[in-house]
Amino acid sequence: MDVKLLHLDDESLLCRIQEGSHEAFATIVDRHSNRFYRIAYRLVSSKDDAEDIVQEAFLKLWDRPNLWDPGKRAKFTTWFYRVVINLCFDHRKKKKLVNLPADIEFADENPGSDVLFDVYQKQAVLERLIQELPERQQLAVNLCFYEGLSNNEAAQIIGVKVKALQSLVMRAKTTLKSKVKRYLGGGPRCQ
Amino acid sequence: MPMNFEQFKEKLLMYGADVRCWPKEIRSSGLKALNNSFELKKLAQEEERFEGVLKTRKYEEPSRYLAERIVAAALPKKKKMQRKLGVFFAEVLSEFSLSRRALAAVSAALIFTLIIGFTIGISNPSGYALAEQYETNLEDVLNYEGDVL
Repeated sequence: MDVKLLHLDDESLLCRIQEGSHEAFATIVDRHSNRFYRIAYRLVSSKDDAEDIVQEAFLKLWDRPNLWDPGKRAKFTTWFYRVVINLCFDHRKKKKLVNLPADIEFADENPGSDVLFDVYQKQAVLERLIQELPERQQLAVNLCFYEGLSNNEAAQIIGVKVKALQSLVMRAKTTLKSKVKRYLGGGPRCQ
Repeated sequence: MPMNFEQFKEKLLMYGADVRCWPKEIRSSGLKALNNSFELKKLAQEEERFEGVLKTRKYEEPSRYLAERIVAAALPKKKKMQRKLGVFFAEVLSEFSLSRRALAAVSAALIFTLIIGFTIGISNPSGYALAEQYETNLEDVLNYEGDVL
C-alpha cells in the first residue's frame, strides 16, 4: 500500500478513487471496513450478512464513486453510514426478525418470572427487544450507545436535528429499560 | 444552576450512567447534583445496571481478511473499467518502477528490435518465390516420362 495515501484524509482519498485509483480504494477500505461492519452487524445480527453488506457498499462506491458529492460537504463516514444502513434495512425487509429459541416463552403472561436463561437465550431476547424498537430509535441506540458516536454525528446520519435524536435515544432507552426488567430481570443477574 | 431530579434523569438517559462523560457544559452541575442526593445516586446505579445488560448484547468480530476480501472483489472491476490504452501502459510501466533513463533505454531497444524485424521481413520476400519454384520443380519430376527403367 502506498504510504503517502495513508496520510490523506477520507475526502482526498475519495477524489483519488473518482480518478480510478485502486490503491486509494484499498486504503479507505482498510481504514473503515471494521467500523461499518460493526453497525451492519448491529442491524442484521449476522456476521456473514454484515460482511456481505459492507462489501456490497464498498463495491458500490468503487463502481460509482461519483455518488459521493464533495460539493455537498458531507463527511465521507456520515454519508457512507447512510449507505450501509440503507442496505441493512433493505436486507432486513427480506428477512424476518431474529428467531428466538423455541423454548423461550416470549409473552406477557408471565412478566418478571425468574426463568433461568442461559447467556445465549438472554442475548437472543435482548436482540429481539432492540429489533422491536421503531427503526429510528434502533438507529439512535446503535449509533449513540453501541458505536459511541456524538449526538451531532448520529443526528446527521439519521437525518434529524440533535434535539430529535436525543428524544429518540431517550424513548428507546425507556422502552428497553421496562422490557429488560420484564423479561430479563433488569438486575445484575443478567450480566 | 442546580439540576433537579427530572433534569438529571433525562440527562442520564441521554448521555449515559457515567456522569464524568457527560458534555462539559452540564458535567459539573450533574456531578454536584449526584453528590448531594441519595436518590440520584440510586438512579445512576440503576442506569449503570441497565447499561450493563445492554452491553451483554452479542457481537462477533469480522473476519480478519474482510478488507482484503473487499479490495480483491473490486480488482476484476478495475480491469474492466480501465480500458484506455494509455492508462494500461502507464500501469504496466509503473509496475516495473523503472527510472526515466532505464525506461528510455528499454523503449529504444524495443523500437530498434522492431525496426530490424521489419527490415528483415521486407528485404526477404523470397520465401513465397522459393515455394513456387519448388512446386514447379516437383511438377517437372512428376511429369518426367523418360529414362524409365
